[in-house]
Amino acid sequence: MEFLTDLSMMYFLLIPIGVIIGIFFGAIPGMTATMAVAVCLPLTYSLNLNEGLALLLGLYVGGISGGLVPAILLNIPGTPSSITTTFDGYPMTQNNQGAIALKTAITASLFGGILSAVILFLFAPILADVAIKFSYIEKFLIIFLALTVIASLSTNLLAGIFSGVLGVLISLIGVYSIDVGGNGEFRFVPGILEYYLETGFSLLPVLIGLFGLGAILKEAEKGTKEEDTSQKVNLSNQQKFSMKIFKGQFTNLTRSGLIGTFVGMLPGVGGSAASVLSYTQAKNFSKEPKKFGTGAPQGVIASEAANNGLTGGALIPLLSLGIPGDSTTAVLIGAFTLQGIQVGPLFIGENLGTWNTMILGLLLANIVMFITMFYAIKYIAKVVTVPKYILYPIIIMMCVVGSYAINYGNMFDVWTLLIFGIFAYLGGKIGIEMAPFIIGFILGKSAEIYFVKALESFGTFEIFFTKSPIAMFLWVLIIISVGYSIYSALKGKKIKKAIENK
Amino acid sequence: MFKLMVKKGAFLAAGLMILSASNALASDSVIKGNLRIVIGSKSTGGDTYQNSSIVANALAKKLGINVKVDAVGSSAGFKAVDRAGVKGNTIMIFHDQAYLGYLYGKKGYFDIFNKYIIGPSIAINPGNAYLVPKNSPYQTAEDIINACGNGTKVRVAIQPGGVSEIGYTALKNAVSIIYPGKEKNLVAVNTGSQSMKNQLLFDGQADVINGSVQANEQYTRLPEEDQKAMRFVWLTARKNTINQAPKAGMGATSRDQLLKFVDPITNVPLDKTTNFTFDKEFFFLYNKGLDPKIIAEIDNALTEIFASGEIQKTQKKSFFIPDFMPSKEAEVYFKDKMERYKIIINSMQ
Repeated sequence: MEFLTDLSMMYFLLIPIGVIIGIFFGAIPGMTATMAVAVCLPLTYSLNLNEGLALLLGLYVGGISGGLVPAILLNIPGTPSSITTTFDGYPMTQNNQGAIALKTAITASLFGGILSAVILFLFAPILADVAIKFSYIEKFLIIFLALTVIASLSTNLLAGIFSGVLGVLISLIGVYSIDVGGNGEFRFVPGILEYYLETGFSLLPVLIGLFGLGAILKEAEKGTKEEDTSQKVNLSNQQKFSMKIFKGQFTNLTRSGLIGTFVGMLPGVGGSAASVLSYTQAKNFSKEPKKFGTGAPQGVIASEAANNGLTGGALIPLLSLGIPGDSTTAVLIGAFTLQGIQVGPLFIGENLGTWNTMILGLLLANIVMFITMFYAIKYIAKVVTVPKYILYPIIIMMCVVGSYAINYGNMFDVWTLLIFGIFAYLGGKIGIEMAPFIIGFILGKSAEIYFVKALESFGTFEIFFTKSPIAMFLWVLIIISVGYSIYSALKGKKIKKAIENK
Repeated sequence: MFKLMVKKGAFLAAGLMILSASNALASDSVIKGNLRIVIGSKSTGGDTYQNSSIVANALAKKLGINVKVDAVGSSAGFKAVDRAGVKGNTIMIFHDQAYLGYLYGKKGYFDIFNKYIIGPSIAINPGNAYLVPKNSPYQTAEDIINACGNGTKVRVAIQPGGVSEIGYTALKNAVSIIYPGKEKNLVAVNTGSQSMKNQLLFDGQADVINGSVQANEQYTRLPEEDQKAMRFVWLTARKNTINQAPKAGMGATSRDQLLKFVDPITNVPLDKTTNFTFDKEFFFLYNKGLDPKIIAEIDNALTEIFASGEIQKTQKKSFFIPDFMPSKEAEVYFKDKMERYKIIINSMQ
């Protein structure tokens, strides 16, 4: 505990400051934990390393957690990793259970965050050695496994798969960047748009276009001439949150937290894959899978425990190998760089004080996040009582500002928001399913890179099946996931037929 | 309560705005408002961000303005300078990749000497390195060249189109000089980030990787039986450059140890008489229409900053070699440098 003597009051003050700013970033559609850390990184230049890390870890945890607020209350994922939170969180809000959904999500986030911090503390170097066993092939298979959830998330299996594949194709628009070992050539881009689409469509504007603007356009079609008082959410009538909601959910919580930590520790796989994978596993293992997507608290628990589990997981390769686990830790490494400190396989042993400070910071940030959000919910939840004719213009404004800011002021990102908002509105009418589409879009680019690089390295298709026991195990999971989705779809059809015959 | 908080918040925001406005007014700088430095890398953990932050911090103090470094990457960086650079509030810092990308014919790169004004140079990163697994049969760069000459295929993991590739091109050139016709045995494995290059070495899918002293030094201290253990075989920097690094070197690898991996102890022939060397250098890029007063102001500010000697200490602490040249001098220098490397790149393509 010697390291505690090195910590100043400022260290303990910067954690809550970071958490609160992070929550705001996470909660505003289009702004992310990564952006929060990037914006505040230069401030750490004037702080010492411990204080800088306190601020950045607070921003990281706050930013990841803040995304659940708009996901649950507005059906707009505040961050890409909170996409699966919308699946059950928003239906809960519609069922007059918004506050319960928020408190459930926050508690699950705390559990996932603490679990991953403990795993980070106890097993970081060992897990880093496991992480390097994942080559291009295993990483591709993990992403492929996450893509198989498209089937189980689809209302109509065929339309869902089509939407997912469309998402993958659209994610490939732009240059196959030399930054990832590509050839630097354009794909799917007409000459006239090459200037704008060099890096393809940015994820955040696409995400908030599909979920935010698209939904608002649908509502606009219905018209909101007068606020329907019968449908208006009355907070005083809402059911009270009780920890009983977690009864029987310990396995779900632990599994999801572990999936988040595990995916987080694999560099280049991405946080969205964590919540998508844990959501599907929760659904597949649930006794009532049909409830998922209709406002099941276990769906919210799975998603949020996983995306906060990611925080500790992504720090494993960062601190044990010097390799960031996700986009936020890729920015966070700058705090070490600015202080001239090497992060690599010997970092923990040579910087025990900093290592302990980080673990403490991560734990404190999770606790502060929980307290701040849990007790602020009664104010946050009031968002749903704001009349739609006031709320929606504000959301549109936030979406536009967020899109414009995401790449440091790029107007094309605002057009992207509009294009995908209209796409969601029109696509919905012809049966394109947005959840599979966005999952395809998020995972498509990484899937392509690892697939192409695996082929370039090994030169055969067979290697995908025979590379390692890990690869074989992943194939078993993929087959189970696909098989289960087909079985559920057939079972659903039978039940539907039986009801129709009756 | 809520109203009170809003009121207080508004006062605080107004106060901050007045403060920042008065800061800008108080400054005598020709640059009006804030200065944004975009960099050619998207990483905040890399050498470009670190280097630029050191210089941005010093410039902000000297000129009394706010300076912010944005890690936007080469393509977005060039676009930002094209779009907003003429006003003087957006400038760029990049390294040799700015012209190497053009020489390698990569999309999004062009002749920077035609399109931009070359600003002052600021530093060298002497750490551009090539590594092999610790249990590799190749002890030196010469071993790699000889292996290719003897018909063994050697795979080198690089990021194409820049500083990472120039060392690979040099190795290929060296093989072609000593063993004409055998250069095809040196094969590039195109990949991206440092972690991807490391992973290829761990997987046995590359025999040699491009890396850096800063990012890979800790790996060289791991025991041989560790799958992650690596060994330096070549640093592309000149001996004179490494000699300017702190005696303690980086991590637990001293300057004297590093000198074993550079010319003349390590030989990668450029031609029959000289060895290939390459210093990765960082410099400013400006929009062609930028007011000459602003160029002069940054030149003068940096001349004074480097004359005081403080910034050199910070740069050396982070394993950078101070390398200040004012704009005019830098332009001549980098133009000449590009022409030199153009010959070797063209001969190998």
